Amino acid sequence: MRAITLVLKNFSRRKSRLILSSIGLILAIVVIVSTFTIANSMQIQIGDEVEKYGPNIIVTPKSESISVPYGSVVIGNLTIYESSLEKIYTIPNRGNLRTVSPKIYGQVDYGNSSLLVVGMVSEQEAKLKKWWNVEGSLPQNDTNQILLGSVVESFLRSPIGSTITINNMTLTVAGILSETGSVDDYSLFLPLHTAQMLLNQPNSVSVIDVGAICKDCPVEVISQQIMDALPYVKATPVKQAVETRMKAIEQTVNFSLLLGSIILAVGCAGIMNTMLASVHERMKEIGIFMSLGADDFHLYKIFILESLILGLIGGLIGSFVGLASSTIMGPLLMKTTISLLEIPLYIIPLCIVLSVIVCVVASLYPAWRASKIDPVQALRTV
Amino acid sequence: MIVMKDITKIYEMGSAQVFALNGVNLEIDDGDFLAVMGPSGSGKSTLLYTIGALLTPTKGNVTIDGKSIYRMKPRQRAEFRRKNVGFIFQTFELLPYLTALENVVLPLYLSGVTISKHEDIAEEALRKVGLADRALHKPTELSGGEQQRVSIARGIVNNPHILLADEPTGNLDQKTGNEIIQLLHRLSDKDGLTVIMVTHDPEKARLSDKVLQMIDGRIVENEQRIYRKRR
Repeated sequence: MRAITLVLKNFSRRKSRLILSSIGLILAIVVIVSTFTIANSMQIQIGDEVEKYGPNIIVTPKSESISVPYGSVVIGNLTIYESSLEKIYTIPNRGNLRTVSPKIYGQVDYGNSSLLVVGMVSEQEAKLKKWWNVEGSLPQNDTNQILLGSVVESFLRSPIGSTITINNMTLTVAGILSETGSVDDYSLFLPLHTAQMLLNQPNSVSVIDVGAICKDCPVEVISQQIMDALPYVKATPVKQAVETRMKAIEQTVNFSLLLGSIILAVGCAGIMNTMLASVHERMKEIGIFMSLGADDFHLYKIFILESLILGLIGGLIGSFVGLASSTIMGPLLMKTTISLLEIPLYIIPLCIVLSVIVCVVASLYPAWRASKIDPVQALRTV
Repeated sequence: MIVMKDITKIYEMGSAQVFALNGVNLEIDDGDFLAVMGPSGSGKSTLLYTIGALLTPTKGNVTIDGKSIYRMKPRQRAEFRRKNVGFIFQTFELLPYLTALENVVLPLYLSGVTISKHEDIAEEALRKVGLADRALHKPTELSGGEQQRVSIARGIVNNPHILLADEPTGNLDQKTGNEIIQLLHRLSDKDGLTVIMVTHDPEKARLSDKVLQMIDGRIVENEQRIYRKRR
């Protein structure tokens, strides 16, 4: 016989009490899991919303002269080597980089006019500019496809599928950008490498827009890290957007931590209470064990093993019920949709471990009380 | 050999002191079958539990085979109990959620005996008490006499040399009670067990080597039976 056999056989006798005592624990874990899940979804949602303000770090070459203005950012006539882009991914906080969108800007003559050309990596740029509404599609990388800003489109009158020729390069219109009210309306977007060829500036990038999310570190730190990694650039943090995002995230995390701790404390007290009642109920059994030669170590082992199993079952059920209930409660209470795919999976083992730890800690005092029982008194109880 | 010297056990009941044992001196030889008799509250069970390393006396010293059991640390005393003492109770005290076999295995588990040997040793103990065929039954499926046999098997499974029986026939009818007494005598004769049995019934004490009479925590009579065949 093993201790576990003894505990499980004992459990089978006290099913109803076990279910009742687990309910409190399961409930606590359910609330913790749903709070974390909802908070996590809110964080993602907040992140997505704030991202609409654009990138939060703008990386430009260190430059004194001014030649090309683009939106609120001023681009120098120097460029960054595209090959050095890789170095951004070597910074200590590289895990916090959400989007890295390199771009090249230039002007080309078209007939009597001059067009603003923007080379970009479509999927990265689309992640940063979620407000973009594109008719047709974005230009595919390393093709001659282009995206026209609304003003450019009305000037060129080139529908989707038509071609235009600039500097002896034939370009196909893949998509048209709806009016944004920004400089994008006046731009002609190309895949990065195609733009580099068109502008005759191979391996060059004018600006890198970076979207970074970091709960524990200020965006200034990431900017500095980028400047350390690429000594010839200037990384400017766009503070306002970042600060709003950080504050919102911090508040939700603090709120869920506080709520979680209170529930955990209540759950812990509940388990301790049930365990103490169980020690009292099983007084005679403890007396029998002692008469057979059990010492405090044996009793601790049995009680802790019981609480461990209880914690494991409670944590497991609580985690899954919590995940399920958050998908229902999230939209109802927080107006946030929960996608089970976005939930960090570590929450399940974490909650099970937490539940086990709480149960074991809550069982220590009852186990100690059991070990201090007078065996003769215990044997005389009815 | 069990030696009790000037054993006193006092219970505080509010402001009053109750002497459960009052200056008991006693020597019990190995292999003795001792019956302890006396009215309720005379200290019979207290004496039994004190010998069984389960109840620390207020005063005095108990030595078993030269070891002073109440000078040991609690864990050492529990180990001593596991190895040397078996208990039998009036109400059997079997764990209801375990089978007869599992109840008998319990002391083996506590002693850290290799798991693979548990069943064989427990079955052997059940065979000794004539209950091998009921091994897989739960206590509720057994008669009183059968439950007491399981309890005896549990008491002897670790091969202790002292068996302490607290009114083992108190909950049994006359015939079954006599069978249990015979079984205890058989174990004492065959395995050289020292048996100390608390009983109310003079008939059950009749075959014992010694009979102690207790009143108010004192031994008032220590009668040595001479007619019983000594081992």
